[in-house]
Amino acid sequence: MIERDDQHLNKAFAALRRKDAAASPSFQATVAAARARRAGVPRRRDLGLAAVVVVAVIAVVVASTWRVQKNDRLVIDLATVRWQAPTDFLLKLPGVELLRSVPQLGPRGLDRRIL
Amino acid sequence: MSPADLTAELEQLHAAAFGWALSCCGWDRSAAEDVLQASYLKLLDGRARFDGRSSLRTFVFGVIARTAREVRRRAALRRWIPLASLLLGPEAVDGRPDPATALVGADETARLMRALGRLSARQRQVLHLVFYEDLTIAEAAAVAGVSLGTARTHYERGKAALKKLLEEEPE
Repeated sequence: MIERDDQHLNKAFAALRRKDAAASPSFQATVAAARARRAGVPRRRDLGLAAVVVVAVIAVVVASTWRVQKNDRLVIDLATVRWQAPTDFLLKLPGVELLRSVPQLGPRGLDRRIL
Repeated sequence: MSPADLTAELEQLHAAAFGWALSCCGWDRSAAEDVLQASYLKLLDGRARFDGRSSLRTFVFGVIARTAREVRRRAALRRWIPLASLLLGPEAVDGRPDPATALVGADETARLMRALGRLSARQRQVLHLVFYEDLTIAEAAAVAGVSLGTARTHYERGKAALKKLLEEEPE
């Protein structure tokens, strides 16, 4: 794989490899640090999830409160705000109650015998 | 593979894996240690399961490369979303060499590291896997997640660029 004219590169990389190997942490120390890290990870993750849940709950409470306030503002009782002008009586026609009902002939209605 | 066997195999690969983690993290030692720890956790917990389709070495290197990418992505996300640090944990990798690494003197390996730092990430990865880790180009392609042709191109172009950079670098 490594060509003959690459030997000086090979030597340079070998020197780098030796240097790194001399400075590398032991396998046991690396695995021990990894296991210690694993023990710490769930707690940190739980803390993060708890923070996210708290933020979500606050957001829901704020949103629902805001919606209630918004609905309160929209409810208007028209009966309390109905206004009547003092000159409204001028618009009332005489006998307006007759115009709103069907006329009847006599108190018993029509006599079928004379039809 | 039993957990004991896997642990023994990982111990055999440890020095090479650390070198690969260093390369994935731009020779940031503390970041490389974090990535290696996270990768070992994935392997030992069974979240990354070896199915025998490649060599264990290639598989482990692939897990390390993916983990380094995830850590870089999380670091980028953390910069944008302050609350993310609660969920993602403390910052580990920012892709830059740590101060101790930056102060490395002008020895031969420092020249090589500086020259590698000027290559593209893919070229650096492929050259590292071939020259440093003694993988074939096909294995390097599997680890880097690219096709064999792409890996070969990165290898040839990267090698030419590295030679040129080393010639230009002051002794």
